Amino acid sequence: MTGSLELVPARALLVPRPRIRLELQPGDRVTAVVGEAVHVGEVVAERIRDPRLVEAVVPRDGADQGIPLPGTWVPAEHALAGRHAGAPAGELLFEHGGRRRLVSGPHPDRLHAPADGRVVEVEPGVALVMEIDGPGLVATELLGEPHWGRLVLLPEESDPRLALDVALAGAVVVLPGRVDAEALARARAMGIRGAVVASLAERDRRDLAASAARQQAGLHRLAPFGVLVLGGYLRRAFASAVRSTLDAASGAVVGLVGDPPLLLLPADRQLPLPELDQIVVHGGPEAGREGRWLGPGGIRRVRGGITAETGLVALDDGRTVAIPIGELERFAVLVANG
Amino acid sequence: MSHVEPGTAEPLVGTRPASSPAAVPAPSARAVVAPAHDRETAFFTLDHGTATLAGALVGRVDRRWRLLAATALPAGSNPDTLLGLLVDRLRSADPARAEAIGSRAEPLAAWPRLVATSVPAATLAVIAATERTRARLEEAAVGAGWNVVAGSAERTDPLALTRLATRPGVVALLVGVADPPDADERDLAAELAVAAAGIAARRPGMRVFLAGPVPDAPLLDAWRAPVIVRLPAPAGAPGELAASTLRAALAAARGGPDDSRCALAAAAGSLARVLGLRVEILEIGVSGAARVVASPGPADDGGIAASVQIVEVPDAALFRMDRPGSVDRIDYWFTQGLDRARLRDRLAELAIAPWSDLDADGALLRGAALRGAVERLLAATDPVLGHGGVDLVIGAGGAWSAVPAPAAAHIVADVVRRPGAVQVAIDHARLLGPIGTIADDAGRDALVAGLGEDLLLPLGTIVTPRGLRPNRPAGRLVLETRGARSEVELVAGGFTLVDLPPGASGTAELAFRGTPELGPRGRRFKIAVSGGLAGLLLDLRDIPLRLPERPDRRRELLGTWERALWPERDA
Repeated sequence: MTGSLELVPARALLVPRPRIRLELQPGDRVTAVVGEAVHVGEVVAERIRDPRLVEAVVPRDGADQGIPLPGTWVPAEHALAGRHAGAPAGELLFEHGGRRRLVSGPHPDRLHAPADGRVVEVEPGVALVMEIDGPGLVATELLGEPHWGRLVLLPEESDPRLALDVALAGAVVVLPGRVDAEALARARAMGIRGAVVASLAERDRRDLAASAARQQAGLHRLAPFGVLVLGGYLRRAFASAVRSTLDAASGAVVGLVGDPPLLLLPADRQLPLPELDQIVVHGGPEAGREGRWLGPGGIRRVRGGITAETGLVALDDGRTVAIPIGELERFAVLVANG
Repeated sequence: MSHVEPGTAEPLVGTRPASSPAAVPAPSARAVVAPAHDRETAFFTLDHGTATLAGALVGRVDRRWRLLAATALPAGSNPDTLLGLLVDRLRSADPARAEAIGSRAEPLAAWPRLVATSVPAATLAVIAATERTRARLEEAAVGAGWNVVAGSAERTDPLALTRLATRPGVVALLVGVADPPDADERDLAAELAVAAAGIAARRPGMRVFLAGPVPDAPLLDAWRAPVIVRLPAPAGAPGELAASTLRAALAAARGGPDDSRCALAAAAGSLARVLGLRVEILEIGVSGAARVVASPGPADDGGIAASVQIVEVPDAALFRMDRPGSVDRIDYWFTQGLDRARLRDRLAELAIAPWSDLDADGALLRGAALRGAVERLLAATDPVLGHGGVDLVIGAGGAWSAVPAPAAAHIVADVVRRPGAVQVAIDHARLLGPIGTIADDAGRDALVAGLGEDLLLPLGTIVTPRGLRPNRPAGRLVLETRGARSEVELVAGGFTLVDLPPGASGTAELAFRGTPELGPRGRRFKIAVSGGLAGLLLDLRDIPLRLPERPDRRRELLGTWERALWPERDA
């Protein structure tokens, strides 16, 4: 029967030493160096809020030094009366016809490393790539910005509107119950750095995105805030394997990243491994339940007239049921990133 | 009296003799090489879709190929385990046949396989000097199956173009100018090339397509040498997309040798040649969609050739909701009342977990999403491929298997609103893609002919006259099948279903009170019809279909029709 278990699609639970990409825009200035080890919270780049295009004449003393590469940071040049109009510091977009197109802008924000790791690649104006020391818990989407903080698990049945207070400022909170945009707005207002949720409805995602856009537009911004969604859009509880991992990482400093969507966990924590034949039901009338794989259940017609391959699952509540394999998933132990 | 000649609509696959009864499938690029004697007894097909992994076991029975077992699982399932399940199932159902095809003699890994793979639509950044050229490049790229972000130097500054081309998910860059460049493009072409070099320097490994006379010197000077591919310049007027060499080159650059959508085009050509029918394939997947039209014609050597046109439409992917109005259209077709926020959530969940929510109204929601997707596919391709004149419509892709077969016929009838008679079938075992990977036309045609009626699941024949006055007696149908004769009074405005099982065929004589259009316009028509799981559907509703504006009335009416072809929907 263990061979037939592979009929059930496997989902990665943890990724060892993941490579993450921190998004940059043309004009952002990377301060970290490729190969350098960085620690969580260290500044790795400066992001400019309102990039603008500046056209500058190539200075005479630069003309014979060859064309600098696109993405090169060009220092500011002072104006010289009657000779040179000067140019602000900025990133070179390209040089053509004796003129440079630079991307420049005021009010740089700092981009911090979301976890301990090493800078492995810089794509100027595109992304900074880091290899993280610890493993990453696989999620489906990060809404908002990468961040880090101490992981705090709220109790299963807690009301986030009451449980989220200023004592949690600086933390990344796991919200196991029903979550909506109001709860997330409250979390942000309390100085919480991020939230981990099992699912989030489309409407709440849009509210959150609109709120983030308003924050981006403001001159005095609030601190970055990210919401990491581990599942989809319909309300679901955390699977037991995920819950065990979060329990084990509780109290540690974790990071939230979106490319790929991961909760970055510390390298020094012992994390529980999922059991191989543990099955999670993610759809249908048994959604949210877990059990053990017994073997193929044959092709069966489900309510509504569709026929589908099923699997026999011994649910944790003692029942044995045939469930369409499409509504089942299992966790792979460790899958290499990429 | 005007009429359609009998025989214009022929029965489904299998009516013509196989051109080579001893046809052996040629292995595709990824086929597992096996001993010759095994190739002649059985082989596997695998279609790796974005959402679904479909497998089939095809074996030789009485000197012809037969489909022995087939199934589908969510993508991510192990293909070898799936194939093992098929063999176990055959051993259990027919041990002698399993023994005969050698199921115990060789390990599964040694059996030949035909493998097709759906390549999810990747994102291509299109930058052009002018809006005119951008529109042509964008049209070709979308028709080749790319997701496209596009801008032109005429409207967008270089910073915005760079941000557009370096955003996450963009894997390739298409830079183009007309050949010869238009007057307003000449000055911009060089600067465009420099901007492209700037983009390529930021993205190591990015593929760069240069369409037309774009200078490549700046790109070659770039620090991280990009992969540069020269393509023909955008040419032609709108409507010539299917024949566009640029589109074909972009399609070839996107997919691999076993790309299932390209393979579908090859399989459609084989069907057209073998059956002598004009074939249309409506392929709907979770990551993309395509429409293929193949028409037979005389070949230079006296045989039958086929002209095949394919247009891919990423926007017609099954649960794609990022275009204005796409959720509204699904809501329009959905027969269960659901608030909009909940509907969006369920569709979004299906987009990331296409196999969840299978039962009860989840199936109805899939049906509504499929109608919306086919609407988008036809709207995007009708200007290029036209909207009629085919004999056989085939539903391909996992979306068609996610609803009961008769309901699939209803979906075709609801959305493909064309006057005339057409046979409908679905690629139930997902064989067309893998078979289409066979490079040799003769070998592929022989396999298509050899598989006969096992290749497609016939749903029936849909007859759709245009121009009847609703809710009035419309005329009479006389159906003759192998000596049996039945008469049905027709009332315009709804469906008339006549039981005609798979394998049955006959002649339908239609006598109308008015002069509706059924191909030509007339009172009396004689049509050859073939059966299927839905039978003969006389669709006497309006063309285009007019439904009540009020949602409750629309749902009630749609539900009435749906119930007729999908009785299990309320179970």
